[in-house]
Amino acid sequence: MPTLTIDGHTVHADHGQFLLAACRSAGIQIPTLCDHPAVEPYGGCRLCVVDVTRPEWNGWCKMVVACLFPVEDGIVVHTASTRVIEVRKVVLDLLLARCPDTPLVRDLAARHGILATSYVRNQQPTDCILCGLCTRICDRMGMSAIGSVDRGAGREIATPFREPPAACIGCLACAEICPTGFIRYESGTARRKIWDKDFDMLRCPRCGRSHITVAQADFFAGRGGVPRSYFEICDVCKRKDLAVAATRLACATETPAR
Amino acid sequence: MGDAMSGYSCVDHGLVDAILERYPREEPSLIQVLQDVQRAYNFLPCEVLTRVSRELGVPLSKVFSVATFYKAFSLTPQGRVIIKVCTGTACHIRGAPLLIEEVQRRLGILPGGTTEDAAFSLHTVNCVGACAMAPVVIVGDKYLGNAKAAGLAAHLTRGE
Repeated sequence: MPTLTIDGHTVHADHGQFLLAACRSAGIQIPTLCDHPAVEPYGGCRLCVVDVTRPEWNGWCKMVVACLFPVEDGIVVHTASTRVIEVRKVVLDLLLARCPDTPLVRDLAARHGILATSYVRNQQPTDCILCGLCTRICDRMGMSAIGSVDRGAGREIATPFREPPAACIGCLACAEICPTGFIRYESGTARRKIWDKDFDMLRCPRCGRSHITVAQADFFAGRGGVPRSYFEICDVCKRKDLAVAATRLACATETPAR
Repeated sequence: MGDAMSGYSCVDHGLVDAILERYPREEPSLIQVLQDVQRAYNFLPCEVLTRVSRELGVPLSKVFSVATFYKAFSLTPQGRVIIKVCTGTACHIRGAPLLIEEVQRRLGILPGGTTEDAAFSLHTVNCVGACAMAPVVIVGDKYLGNAKAAGLAAHLTRGE
């Protein structure tokens, strides 16, 4: 079991664990924007930088992104050294130049003492911080309907050919995971629209609530193993069924004992 | 069919078939396949990208990501001869703007544009690493060092 020192505390980490998780398990908070338990680490936002050193390195240290750095035995980690804070400030300053009106970015920057960007303010402010959570969750869902398009300053999250994506099933995972609300959608009882693609909603046969899209039900059923009817009933009704069944079971087992 | 503007509709699928034959049908082949497609068509037609995505089993969003990431790929038809005018510092100082103007005047296209007969495309590039012979113009595979506006005409002919 690797043993490391984080900000003066001795921490026992698991093999293969990433430094960010080790820091968090030790109760040390590190700001991140692209980390999420549902997807693999990505190292995109560069906010979780920390200094890593070893006693035998004579004061030399290297800066790594904690979310992608596997823990090593004997390392000494500084999560809030002057150098680390400076780098985080630069990252936030740049991010604030890109997204000057985004509350999440503004708040995080303000907490680091940056109230206005020192760079040139983006002429076309966007709420997209390019954290890649949407594309990663879409990959994870098995659709890969959206991706990162272009490069450099022009990079954006978009659908293939910037058209309504054929692969999208309207699950809204991208919009739900988006930390800034950049991905817009409309969802009503009959129709849903995201990425300019229209979807028909499916109503729960029990309660009539529109809970998923027809495309979602088709996709889940198409994976096999579970009949389509399972996905047609909404989660609330499924839980009710389960509660009823559990109660019946409990009563049936309790009665003869008395 | 019929969408004359895009030029995407009249794609010869035989070319794609031949390209796909050369590589294993798997994700790592993607860039090589796209490079060959770019060479064969002078751009990456939408429907070919869709086909490549299907054949290699790579999501279309990933194919589009790669196709838009690399400068070597283009989603719009390119001319048979691509003219690159270097606008790096040395070339800029030694007259690159004049060269761009000359090409624009002769071919009637702006940087990023392609002539109507698809003979030439004009691009400006940031530095080709040949500052010693600035200003540099690359016509097709030919590097023209110490280029002069007056001397460009000879390289911009459509004849064989």
